[in-house]
Amino acid sequence: MKKINISILIIASISITLFSLLFGPSFINPFSLDDISGKILFQLRLPRVVTSFLIGSSLGASGAILQGILRNPLADPYILGISSGSALFAAASLMAGSAFLGPSTTALLAFSGALITCGIVGALGYKDGILLPERLLLAGIGLGFLFTAVLMLFMSLSTNYGMRRALLWIFGDLSMADWSQIPWGVLLISAGLILSISRAKGLNALMLGDEIAHSLGFSPSGERLVFFTSVSLMTATSVALGGVIGFIGLLIPHIVRFLTGSDAKTLIPLSALLGAGLLTLADTIGRTVIAPSELPSGVVTSLIGAPYFLYLLRKKI
Amino acid sequence: MENILLDRVTFSYGKKETIKRFSISFGKGEFCALIGPNGAGKSTILKLCSGILKPQSGKIKLFNKDLEGYPSKERAGLVSYLPQLLDTNVSFKVMELAEMGLYPGGGGLSPDEAIGVAGLKEKAGYSITELSAGEKRRAFFAMLLVQGAKTLLLDEPLSHLDIKYQVELVKLLKDIIEKSGITVVMAVHDINTVFQFQKVCVIKDGGLFAAGSPGEIITKELIREVFEVEAENLLPQRIL
Repeated sequence: MKKINISILIIASISITLFSLLFGPSFINPFSLDDISGKILFQLRLPRVVTSFLIGSSLGASGAILQGILRNPLADPYILGISSGSALFAAASLMAGSAFLGPSTTALLAFSGALITCGIVGALGYKDGILLPERLLLAGIGLGFLFTAVLMLFMSLSTNYGMRRALLWIFGDLSMADWSQIPWGVLLISAGLILSISRAKGLNALMLGDEIAHSLGFSPSGERLVFFTSVSLMTATSVALGGVIGFIGLLIPHIVRFLTGSDAKTLIPLSALLGAGLLTLADTIGRTVIAPSELPSGVVTSLIGAPYFLYLLRKKI
Repeated sequence: MENILLDRVTFSYGKKETIKRFSISFGKGEFCALIGPNGAGKSTILKLCSGILKPQSGKIKLFNKDLEGYPSKERAGLVSYLPQLLDTNVSFKVMELAEMGLYPGGGGLSPDEAIGVAGLKEKAGYSITELSAGEKRRAFFAMLLVQGAKTLLLDEPLSHLDIKYQVELVKLLKDIIEKSGITVVMAVHDINTVFQFQKVCVIKDGGLFAAGSPGEIITKELIREVFEVEAENLLPQRIL
């Protein structure tokens, strides 16, 4: 049963991703490409699909990891204040009207904002040299409120149209995806994924509680720091690539657990894969159904994912 | 050589001193019960012995070397610890849990054997969240058997167990001690059970009140002084 579920998840996610290249405002037949459809495929759709795949996989994996290291089933990648931190930084740069780092300025600042927030949350999470889950969680929530408040303050004082646009971008938009940001996106997210999958045993041990993890020969605080770092890296990268997208980080890990169990060796890679598949599907639907306008992918992920999640909830618990 | 040696160890949570200049040692093959009223420091002593808590002063030696000097994986082969509260609600299967005992490198039973010994053969494919409190504890115990550390520190492992499994667990531990010479130290709540142990350490207010074989040291006077009850109300007649 478990093996069948794993194969279905893998095949479904990969085929969704491949087919989504063909769908959009116009259907592309891969066997009769002309100049225009070739351009659409390689310059518009492929980078967008790769971007949604990257974001979805980093959010799915990050959610699975955070729920484990914080031992809280409601944790999602944004619970540590990452989204507010990156929104604040991006907005601040736009208020100053600057593009001093070139065309990717907003993305770069969103990335630094996310990492700085993680740094502060991580530092606040320590007590007596030990990284405590409840402190991390509360520090993240507290800092998130603070940053959101400052952001609201900026917004109410600002008449800048550009900033509003930037904020829309922060809250989830894949339509600007292009090749320029993909190489470092691939690099950072696969680094985070490889690091966490290679430490999957440590995550399993942490899920049993710090005392048992210690007894099994792990340093709970050290393991937590490694996972926290890799989650910070992946989430910051995904926010910079496409803003803040809900649902995936919170609920994909639960769906994977329902279907294939909690063992981190399968939970992390499958959450990444299913997150990638769902976000890519949602984005394809979002840019197809009301073309030429678009539905935000966050809306579509929840519209598809939430009913399925509720169905599983009824069936499995 | 002692498995674990505590030399004038002091530990406090915040300002309150929980353990006061506490010295004790546990040798090879010992089967020892820690007993004392709530808050006496039994759990704290086990956590100090396992390295989860670090003492403010005093020394803790594990096989003649400073406990803190061990790399974690090596330490996990010498001492393992099972907490009183197993509050995980993660849906690991019994078999997956037993296999986690292999993380430090193995050295104990195979996961299959350990699950059999813990009486969970039928439930190997169940999630631990579907088990009763007693079965869950036995599943974690199976993990400990797979880990196969030379010293087991168990915090009230008998609570939540049916009397049948209490008896079986004690018998099983005695068997393992006899066969492989490990050392077992467990905190015990029910004074009736201490008579099955070779040695008992009575803890009061963070200090060692008495230690020795249960038949010699558990007396009416001790019970009155440590537990503040009259023994007649507590123990079956045969013991008195």
